Amino acid sequence: MIFAHGYGCDQQMWRLVAPAFEDRFNVVTFDHVGAGGSDLSFYNRQRYSSIDAYADDIVDIGRELDFNDAIIVGHSVSAMIGALASIKAPEMFSSVVMVGPSPRYINDGSYIGGFEREDIDELLASLAENHIAWSNAMAPTIMGNSDRPELASELADSFCRMDPEIARTFARVTFTSDNRADLPKVTAQVLVLQCRDDIIASENVGRYVADAIPHAQFVMLDATGHCPNLSAPQAVISAIKGFV
Amino acid sequence: MDYPDDLFERAPCGYVVLNSQGMMARVNQTLAEWIGQEKEELLGKRMTVLLTVAGNVFYETNFEPTLRLQGFCEEIAFDLKTKSGKRLPVTVSARGRLGGDETGVTLVTVFRSVKRRQLERDLLQARQAAENAKEALANTNASLRTNIRRAVGKKREAQRVLLAEQETGELREQFVAVLGHDLRNPLASISAAGRVLAPEVTSERGKRVLQLMAGSVSRMSGLIDNVLDFARGRLGGGIHLMRDPTSPIAPVIEQVIEELRSSAPGRDILSTLLIPHPVNADHARLGQLVSNLLGNAISHGDAKHPIFIDARLADDGTFTLSVTNKGKEISPDRMERLFEPFVRGDTQNDKGLGLGLHIASQIAKAHGGTLSATSQNGETRFTFIMPPFSSDDNDG
Repeated sequence: MIFAHGYGCDQQMWRLVAPAFEDRFNVVTFDHVGAGGSDLSFYNRQRYSSIDAYADDIVDIGRELDFNDAIIVGHSVSAMIGALASIKAPEMFSSVVMVGPSPRYINDGSYIGGFEREDIDELLASLAENHIAWSNAMAPTIMGNSDRPELASELADSFCRMDPEIARTFARVTFTSDNRADLPKVTAQVLVLQCRDDIIASENVGRYVADAIPHAQFVMLDATGHCPNLSAPQAVISAIKGFV
Repeated sequence: MDYPDDLFERAPCGYVVLNSQGMMARVNQTLAEWIGQEKEELLGKRMTVLLTVAGNVFYETNFEPTLRLQGFCEEIAFDLKTKSGKRLPVTVSARGRLGGDETGVTLVTVFRSVKRRQLERDLLQARQAAENAKEALANTNASLRTNIRRAVGKKREAQRVLLAEQETGELREQFVAVLGHDLRNPLASISAAGRVLAPEVTSERGKRVLQLMAGSVSRMSGLIDNVLDFARGRLGGGIHLMRDPTSPIAPVIEQVIEELRSSAPGRDILSTLLIPHPVNADHARLGQLVSNLLGNAISHGDAKHPIFIDARLADDGTFTLSVTNKGKEISPDRMERLFEPFVRGDTQNDKGLGLGLHIASQIAKAHGGTLSATSQNGETRFTFIMPPFSSDDNDG
């Protein structure tokens, strides 16, 4: 079972969900190239100019670890990345769980992605400004700090680390992507998990994805926002357990 | 001052208290004023209602996850939406984990950062400009290097070509000169042989044959002269004149006319020579000029009509010589290049080298005179005008 994090953070996104499956599955979590503790020297703007490259990376991991009938759990843009990986290597990935998926974020005629082109332009421009807030502090990763809150405040930011330049490129790649045409090609079993009030991937988009993929199930979670894996981890765990 | 309420409500920054669901549970007066709304309108809502679309993407994908994971998130730049429509740039820091039980709260401070944002923008722009300039400089340097390399290469190439051409040119001139001499000698023998035979030949046919031979020799000699002249002219020596101030020139011209009559029997060449005094010129060269002009008229003129040659010496000492023939006019294109070397006329009639007119114009120039041509109404005329010689003139 391989967990893929979405835009904006790193594999820490799954730390409240992934451990729940370790008894039954070999659980793999990883950072996409450019996020978390990944080796930035492998980032190449040409290669990663489409989410296809990220799907290739997952297939590489699957090949390296000898996956067979594996499950991809993808959050946000990694839901699409997971779908593409399953199309590339169907024998490797037999199921895909999509948390807050969207095949296209920019509105297109009758398709409501949720964003206008100008919104995305503004997003990319503002990322340049938050660049200063995003500068990497090379602090060691902290795990399980909930009982020592005072410790956390003394250490530099170490979560959701992203190289600012890569963040801008990944944002552009993500928010200008269009994978609607790939949905019907997915042969894996698919579960779509949807939250209420998710401005990034709203309910109509989630339903669109579930309708376009053959054999896809749709589950509405009792959660709001875009990151139920952090804000409502139990709901996510239950939904996935009901599926696998 | 009423602690702690006033401290909270009227602080010079905005305060937000988020409950465990991430909804705004309390908002201070300062923030409400900044965004132009009543505090009550904001309670129970997520902070995303205050933010722009871009801000919301960041809030959902990074700000809130970071809070949930590490319990704090600091110095994040957002733009707040205000009632007036204007955006308010702020810096936000938060402490708290969200989630957990209902007692857990997250505290958020909001600082206005109009000036700070402007400074950051300026810095980013300056850095971008510096990077652009660096890249532009690198490009300029690269293209400069390429241009210099190219220019040096071209110069070397040009020098190589010049050297090669000089060598070829010298060899060519030598070749032409030697060829001219080698052609002249046998011709001189034929000419001499003809003169030797002349007294012994008595039949009419024999005399005619000798006449034809003489004509041919004369024509060939003219051709060779032109080639040699051309070769010598190109060597930079130009045409040197040997002026004769005392002998009459009319006999020279008449002899040339006779030679050409022999070389083209059946053609009428009519002459008018009015030269009462000697003409200070290189007689041999003028003869060559006349020969070339007449030869040209014979080649290109209409054979059914006579060729006229007219030479006069005016009272002021100006010498004017013209050769006129009837026939097809010279085209304007050809007129432009008439006196250039190697330019030949109509291929049917022109068996020459294309040097005759060029040499003639060089001879004219060497004498300080001009050679011009007109060609209209079925008549072509070449006119040579030479001013009287003065001892200040430079010849050749």
